[in-house]
Formats: sequence, C-alpha cells, structure tokens
Amino acid sequence: MPKTIIDANKSALSLDLKELADYRDLFYTLSYRDFKVKYAQTFLGFIWAFIQPFMTLVVFGLVFSRGLQLDTGNVPYVLFAACGLASWTYFSTVMSQAGSSIIGAQSMVQKIYFPRLVIPLSKAVVGLIDFGIALLIILGLMIVYSFSPSANILFLPFFIILVVLAALGVGIWLSALTIRFRDFQNIVPFLVRFGMFLTPVAYPSSLLVNRIPEWASIIYYLNPIAGIIDGFRWSILGSSPPNELSYISFGVVILLFTSSLFYFKKVERIIADIV
Amino acid sequence: MIMSNVAISVENISKRYSIGDTSSGSLQDAFRSLVGRRGAQKTEEFWALKDISFEVKQGEAIGIIGKNGAGKSTLLKVLSRITEPTTGRIEIDGRVSSLLEVGTGFHPELTGRENVFLNGTILGMSRDEIKAKFDEIVDFSGVEKFLDTPVKRYSSGMKVRLAFAVAAHLEPEILIIDEVLAVGDAEFQKKCLGKMQDVAGEGRTVLFVSHNMAAVSHLCKGGIFLNNGSVKIAGDINHVIDHYLQESISAADISLNSRKDRKGTQMLRFSSIEILDIEQRKLSSVMSGQNFTLKLKTESHRASFNDIRSIKVSVGINDSKDNRVSYLSNEITDQVFMNPGKFDSIDIAIPKLSLQPGTYSLTLFCKVNNEISDWIQNAFYFKVEPGDFYSTGKLPPDNQGAFYLDHTFSLSENVVFE
Repeated sequence: MPKTIIDANKSALSLDLKELADYRDLFYTLSYRDFKVKYAQTFLGFIWAFIQPFMTLVVFGLVFSRGLQLDTGNVPYVLFAACGLASWTYFSTVMSQAGSSIIGAQSMVQKIYFPRLVIPLSKAVVGLIDFGIALLIILGLMIVYSFSPSANILFLPFFIILVVLAALGVGIWLSALTIRFRDFQNIVPFLVRFGMFLTPVAYPSSLLVNRIPEWASIIYYLNPIAGIIDGFRWSILGSSPPNELSYISFGVVILLFTSSLFYFKKVERIIADIV
Repeated sequence: MIMSNVAISVENISKRYSIGDTSSGSLQDAFRSLVGRRGAQKTEEFWALKDISFEVKQGEAIGIIGKNGAGKSTLLKVLSRITEPTTGRIEIDGRVSSLLEVGTGFHPELTGRENVFLNGTILGMSRDEIKAKFDEIVDFSGVEKFLDTPVKRYSSGMKVRLAFAVAAHLEPEILIIDEVLAVGDAEFQKKCLGKMQDVAGEGRTVLFVSHNMAAVSHLCKGGIFLNNGSVKIAGDINHVIDHYLQESISAADISLNSRKDRKGTQMLRFSSIEILDIEQRKLSSVMSGQNFTLKLKTESHRASFNDIRSIKVSVGINDSKDNRVSYLSNEITDQVFMNPGKFDSIDIAIPKLSLQPGTYSLTLFCKVNNEISDWIQNAFYFKVEPGDFYSTGKLPPDNQGAFYLDHTFSLSENVVFE
C-alpha cells in the first residue's frame, strides 16, 4: 500500500521523477486539452497552423530578401528564414505558455494535489504539433527549391531536443517566478518581442558576430536559442557549421533546464498558499 | 487487512499564514527585502491550524465539523498535500483521493466525454481505469445524451452530475471530502449521499467535512470538532455534534430587558429566553427532530405573585420571510396557569421539532388576569439546523415545504368478498 509522509521539517530537494511518471496520463490529457481548445470553434481549425508560419515567411521574404537584400549564400532566403522561424516560434510559444501556466491553473492548484511540474511540462507537447507543421513547410520549400539536405540531418533530433529543453527551462523558471513576482507576466511578452531580434531568426548570426567585439558575441550566445538555431540550420541546410560560441548556448540550455527543475521544486511547496 | 490499522496519523500539525504576505508580491517588495528595508506594510501572522493531532483507523468514517473559519478546509488541504504544514508530521497509509471541489479542471470547451477523462486523470485515475468505468460513470451522471456536447452548453446541474459521477467512481483507500454535497439539486444530493454511504460501508476510510449534521451523523461514527484551528473535542459523532450545536451560539441567553417596543401592563414581563437540551444545557441552535425546551424567563415588578390569578402565554413562530408558521399557546393545550404562586420562568417543552432548517423568530405574548401583560414582536431569533428527523439520515429537498411530518409507508390490497 502506498505510504505518504508529510513532514514540515523535511526539506527534501529530490525531484521525485517516479511520482512524475505516475502522473503521465494527466500529462497526456492536459496536452490533449490544450490542443483541442486551441483549435475548437475556429472556422479554419487546423489550417491556421499552416497559415500563420506561411504568412510570416512571406513578410520576412519581402522585407529582408527583397527589401534589405540580405545575403544568405546559396541557400534561398525563405528556406533560411523558415528554419529560424520554426525553432523560434516553438521556443517563444512554449516558453510563454509554460511561464503563465501555473497562474492560469490557479483554481486547480488550490483544489487538488498532483506534481505541479506536469502543468508547464504539458505545454511542450502542443507546441510540437506546430513545430511538426513548420518542419513540413521546410520540407515543402526544399522540394520547391529542389534543395537536397546534407548528411548533417542526422543531428536534427539532437537540436530538436535542445529546443524543447531550452523552451521548458526558461518556461519552468518563468512559471515559478511568476507565482512569486507577478511582474514577470509583463516581462514575458517583452522578452518574446525583443528576443526575436536578438536571435538569428531572420538573419544569419555571422552577420552580427563579425561586426561586434568578442565580449558582445559571448553575451549574444548567452541567449540559449541563438546557438540552437545555428545548429538547426546547419543540420538541415548544411550551411556553415555552428560557431564555437554556440556551445555557450548549449551549456546555458542544460544549466537553465536543470536549475529550473530545482527552483520549481522549491517554489512548489508554497504554490497553493501564494498563487 | 487488519481493521485496527491506523490509516491516517496526524501529529502536532500547525499551519501559519501571513496576512498581507509579501512573498507573492512585486519585484519592488523583493528588492526592498533584499536591501533590508522592509516594506511599509507589516505582515501579520495567522495560525489557521494549531497543534492538531488525531488518528483515523482504517475503515473509519470521521466527520469534521466546526464553524466557518475554524480550519476545516485548511486541515483537508494539508491532508490532501495541496499545502504544506508549518509544523508537524502526517503519515497516511493507502491511496488518497481528495474531493475539495466537484469538477476540478473541467474545461468548458471540451465535451462531456473529454472532461470525464480530464477530471478523472486530475483526480489521479489512469486512462485505462477511466475507460473501464466509463459506462458506469455516464450511467450514474444521467447525461449520456449530451456526452459529445461541449460542457459550456450544460446547465450547472448537469455539470455537477457529471463531475460527481467521476468522483464517485474513484476507488481510493482513503477518501477526503469537503462539503461537495452542498451543490447540485436535492435529488442528486440524495444520490450522492447514498453513494457515500456505500463507500463508507465498504470499509474505506472517509474524512468528511460538512455543515449538514444529518448527513454527518448518519455517515460517520467518529467526529472531530474544530474551533479556532484546534481540536475542541473528538470522539463519538453524536457527542461531538451535541457539543458543536451547544457551542455555536453559547450566548443564546438573550436579555429582553432592553426592549422598549413592548406592549402591555408589564405586571409580568419576559426578561430573557434560553434554549435548553434535554440535559438542561444551553443551545445556540436546534436541530430538526430535536427534543428541547424553550425557557422564557420572567419577572414580576408591579405586582406580587399573589395578585396573579391566571397566566395565558402564547408564542408565535415566524419564518425568515416573516410568515407565521406556527403558534404555541397554553390556552390551546388547556394548560392556562391558575394561581401559580412564585415562579421565574415559563418552560415550553418541544419533544420533536418538526420545523425545517432555517432561521425563525419568536413573538412572545402573555395575558395576566385576562389583560395583556407583555407582548414583544420578534423577540428572539434562532436557527434550526438540519437534523436527522426521520432517523434515516435523509431529509426531503430544501424547497419541499416548511415542516416534517412523521409518516410510514406500506402496501395493501383491496380484499374483495364474494
């Protein structure tokens, strides 16, 4: 028989992954709910998942390729931008949804116990559907431009995992911080808006890194998603390999994700009291 | 399983809340506390629970009662692991399900079917478990026709039915329930009460918080009376309920001397009113079905008792809408007091209160020597709590009248002689 011990003096910082695994069905159901709710009662339903990235690409192409004559070497600009956009959209959506997820689940959190981490974690799944569609669009563009992928594509899963970890790491941190400091509700939209310009989404990172001093480049790659997008492009388009500064990004991702779990665990104990 | 095993053991649990808490505040507060300058607002401490200890044996059903704010909900939240205690230790043996609300996590955009799965997994069931019980759940809820309709189109009654149906099919070893029966229509409440009786009868451990004394006394054998965050008394449920009712308005001794809005000669006047149970303890409220005494204390200033040759007393009972619901009179019972001699109170014994729960007022009237002596409109307000009038633990729905009547049912057949 399962035995539960609640002890006020225990300050355990164990992550209790077994308990998390016991609640995997809740994780699936919450993911399904988010997916269903997102497309319920919309006239075009699932088609929206295609329209949004497509329109963004058209605008990017007009402004950066036609207007600003941005040079992306032998890679067609639209394809180049599609790779950046796919990762960035996933990262920013999951990060902001996970960030506000606990606040949004207040009524549930105050009425029932379950590992709270399930809530932000489940946000990573819905984004994956949009991410998959973005990959389909990339595939379509490759066919249109008859652009064949390089052998680097074998590394793609690795970068996808990194994107997920980056989005969750920042998202879980934000969800815990938002409970304690409501200010973060205002900071997140701001991060998303400015973050896109500080990330090589619509332009190659080399463009910026070649023109700024090295210390500034290091700061630039503290942005976890910056290095990932370089790697993501490299694995799909086979363009220039990721800058060695990208490893800063990868390190930041691992650090953010691990620390977020522990910080969340710490805040979890008081969530119901202060949410 | 040995029945004497302890299912829940609670040791010295306390829970402190800070009023005007800064921990969920703004960055400004955080910055202030970082540089050591506390914000202008001081945090005040509030102990929702103080040093609570008790044990619940396996298979026991325990009712937790107390006034609003006594700490009942906080205790359930601590036991359900929603919030952590400030001090103390709890050991729980067995799988726990807690129902602090019906339909936690229901999403209006999802269909009934989807919400069954959503709510079920939130309550800790696996998808396979829900699939196995799905038909039973739908049957119990009675909303099968609308299973594929989004829940936002449901009436609130339908939502509650579906949600309770899910909860009713949990199969934990320990069930923690907070006043969930306070929702839904009366018909469905009865169904839920029946289901809970089954659960308690199956040897599961149940912790039940409710204001419905009829339900508590019928479902539970043991009780805990919480007052201001500590255990006031624990033990046999009827004993605990008695204490609770007695304490809830212990100042039921209402002085009438300050009332100026009275009529009559004041030869004899009402000075105060008390409600006493059969053991002569003061009550603050009474339960339907209860045996109690209404004690009207009197004084006589203007005359000696020798001058009093006859006393006629009547008491009018009005409901909260000021409709007269009953009239008690010693003229009607043929008990007019003749040449009473010395006395200081008029006692009215009511062997089995048939009023339904609610707030009532008493209008007092007395005639001495056929002259109006004292007359006070709405002299006293009192509360009737739900009680086990029929000794079945069940009561008719709230909107079904103002009185209970003793009655029995039987079957018979017309005998035809040829």
